[in-house]
Amino acid sequence: MERRDFLKNLLVGSLTLKLAPGLLAAPAGPDLAVVEGESPAAITREAIKVLGGMSRFISRGDKVLIKPNIGWDRTPEMAACTNPEVVAALVAMSLEAGAREVIVMDHTINQPKRCYARSGIQEAARAAGARVLFTDEQRLKKMSLKGEWLKEWEVFQDFVEADKLINVPIAKVHSLSRVTLGLKNWLGAVGGNRNQLHQKIDQAVVDLGAFFKPTLTVLDAYRVLFRNGPQGGRVSDTRLQKTVVAGLDPVAVDAYGATFFEIKPQELPFLKLAQGRGLGKLELEKLRIEKRAV
Amino acid sequence: MKRERSKKYFWLQRLRILVQVSFFLLFFILFLQTHYPGEDYLKVTVERFFHFDPLLFLAASIASRTIFAALLLSLLTVAATLVFGRFFCGWICPLGTVHQFFSFIFKKTRLLRPPKDDRASLSSKYLVLFLVLAASLLTVNLVGYLDPFSFLYRSFAVFISPLLNLGLVQSGNLAYLLGLKSLGQTISQAAGNLALNSTFQNALVIGGLFLLAVLLNARKERFWCRYLCPAGALLGLFSRFNLFKLKIDPDKCINCHLCSTHCQTNARPYPAGEWRSSECIYCETCAAICPTAAISFPLSWQRERMQGVDLNRRRVLLTSLTGLVLAPIFRISPLRRRSNPALIRPPGALAEPEFLSRCVKCGECMKVCPTNALHPALAEAGPEGVWTPVLVPRIGYCEYYCSLCTQVCPTGAIRELSVEEKVTVKIGTAWVDKTRCLPYALGKSCIVCEEHCPVSPKAIQLIKVDTLTPGGVVATNLAPFVNVDACIGCGICENKCVVMDLPAIRVSSIGEHRSSHNRLVLPVVEEQGQ
Repeated sequence: MERRDFLKNLLVGSLTLKLAPGLLAAPAGPDLAVVEGESPAAITREAIKVLGGMSRFISRGDKVLIKPNIGWDRTPEMAACTNPEVVAALVAMSLEAGAREVIVMDHTINQPKRCYARSGIQEAARAAGARVLFTDEQRLKKMSLKGEWLKEWEVFQDFVEADKLINVPIAKVHSLSRVTLGLKNWLGAVGGNRNQLHQKIDQAVVDLGAFFKPTLTVLDAYRVLFRNGPQGGRVSDTRLQKTVVAGLDPVAVDAYGATFFEIKPQELPFLKLAQGRGLGKLELEKLRIEKRAV
Repeated sequence: MKRERSKKYFWLQRLRILVQVSFFLLFFILFLQTHYPGEDYLKVTVERFFHFDPLLFLAASIASRTIFAALLLSLLTVAATLVFGRFFCGWICPLGTVHQFFSFIFKKTRLLRPPKDDRASLSSKYLVLFLVLAASLLTVNLVGYLDPFSFLYRSFAVFISPLLNLGLVQSGNLAYLLGLKSLGQTISQAAGNLALNSTFQNALVIGGLFLLAVLLNARKERFWCRYLCPAGALLGLFSRFNLFKLKIDPDKCINCHLCSTHCQTNARPYPAGEWRSSECIYCETCAAICPTAAISFPLSWQRERMQGVDLNRRRVLLTSLTGLVLAPIFRISPLRRRSNPALIRPPGALAEPEFLSRCVKCGECMKVCPTNALHPALAEAGPEGVWTPVLVPRIGYCEYYCSLCTQVCPTGAIRELSVEEKVTVKIGTAWVDKTRCLPYALGKSCIVCEEHCPVSPKAIQLIKVDTLTPGGVVATNLAPFVNVDACIGCGICENKCVVMDLPAIRVSSIGEHRSSHNRLVLPVVEEQGQ
């Protein structure tokens, strides 16, 4: 190919993408799918359907890694970990879309086996066909994150090696970052002394979010934790919201998630930082949001 | 005369080895099962072996003035010993199996050359027994140090378990290095499920003693069983009828000394009439090894007299007196007056005096603890408390919904608790060290302790704190404030604190529910409705 042709093609191609971004990613769904309903599995399925179906994101033969929040030794009623039915639904959908393998994994805070068992995620995800694996220190590798604050950190290689990453956080309050949603969920994909990240939590969260870049973010807000975060401890610390928010833009998902706690996205420093870094959009009014109830 | 070994005793010996291996495997399986099984309550009685130990039952019962229902099973051992002699030591005891295995190895490698005629006294183990029992009379419980099950389990929990874990991790690492990713993954997942604790304080001492006990087999076959084991001594005292009695056929015997040379416990099968039935563990070696099949164990109802052990009244009395004198020495400790802030006991632990009178230092609680929080004490609990469990938050914390350590204690030193009860038990109190805490001392933000506090509402509350930094800049940050009434002392705050060497929030034993005097705030009932 001539250099001139190449440049011409490049120009035409980029302009097309810039002006009509939906062209290649057809069928173009909305930015966010917000689905409400009684069954966690059903609203998850519906949310993915609204976005265009799982086969839009997962190709045949893909190795998929699903990253729920399994941080705590708590039952689903405590809303400290992602709802197991939401995770299981995503596992099933990924397999239906032709995924070769689905791994479910999180670097827990409490003792791993206890968290995997009590959260109900191990059992549900396994039943749906996933391999539920403990993180393995041997698979930690110091990587260049190219972040603004975090230059390098130890990352579990499973998250890097997967073809597709699905982030499945749960919506909770947090005393430092105010809320913990999708971006902060990536603290569970790294090792090292994670607790030191709290000294500049907003920057850390954005740097990690920029590094991992999930294919899809599915926020579990079936039962949200509005008090005593991020692990609660009483059912009265939680509230049934019966909602799942899904989208390709991790910033948009988190921005919508903030509203469950009567927080404007613009009030959250990490969302503004994330938008500034080009990770996504936080102005909900500028997003195409499709709401459904099932 | 035709020389031929006894086929019958050859096979009996093989059977004995099979039984020994089976019991050792059972012990090891129960050992591995002593971990979080994926649900709150253990379904298997992992501490079952201890229930059959009459020494443990006797000493702990005397020391704590309590009869332990589960340990009544040990009466079966006593009854069987009364009738059949010390077969328990030769066929069942897993520590005996370990010693015998190494004796065998040492003999094969010529590191151990047993003498033809060994006249060394076997009475020392009886003296150990009397010393332990005498101390028990004064409520000092020393049985755990040399009780075979406690000794073995403790060594495995504190020393072998970290080694196994290291082996697993290293082999996983090797698999990854060789590019065998799925093998590496399988190993790491197995390690995650076994949840072997990887580190213990004083592991070197406990492991060293275990290795020493094993190495002593290079001096004498089954050195431990011959000279040290108080449980074997107790069973020796109980062996009365020994229904199967050793008999040497004088017509066949060629006086080769093979039987007495290879007798595992030096019970002197030869010469005829010198057999010490209370030392015989019925391993069947003598009968199997005899080149002319001159030795047999025919059934005989005659009562046996204990003989050959030079246990005269004077020595028994002297040792018992030593025990009685020694016991109070164990009590000379300032801890009786003032509690040690570092002595954090597992939830469910009884008040310190009762706890010490019951704890047999077996290490079951240390093995089952999912966070590696429980460690053998060295000096934390005073002289009688060496190797009793102490919670070290810097290494591991008490998992909120876990009551596993309370489920495995064979003597009830840790009272069994349901998870619902357990979360209400206070084992200590957390204290913020403002000279090290990031918001207080450095004006930096950090809420890690508050985030991890498992109590709801949280025992660690956040307050706004102004810190004057150089240049006159005031840094305002959220900083931890401990509500001492809500804090249960689980230690996760200390464990997760980012100040890695000396954490900025630390748990001390003050306020522990089990103590009536180690209190911070008097339990005064507040008058209501005023």
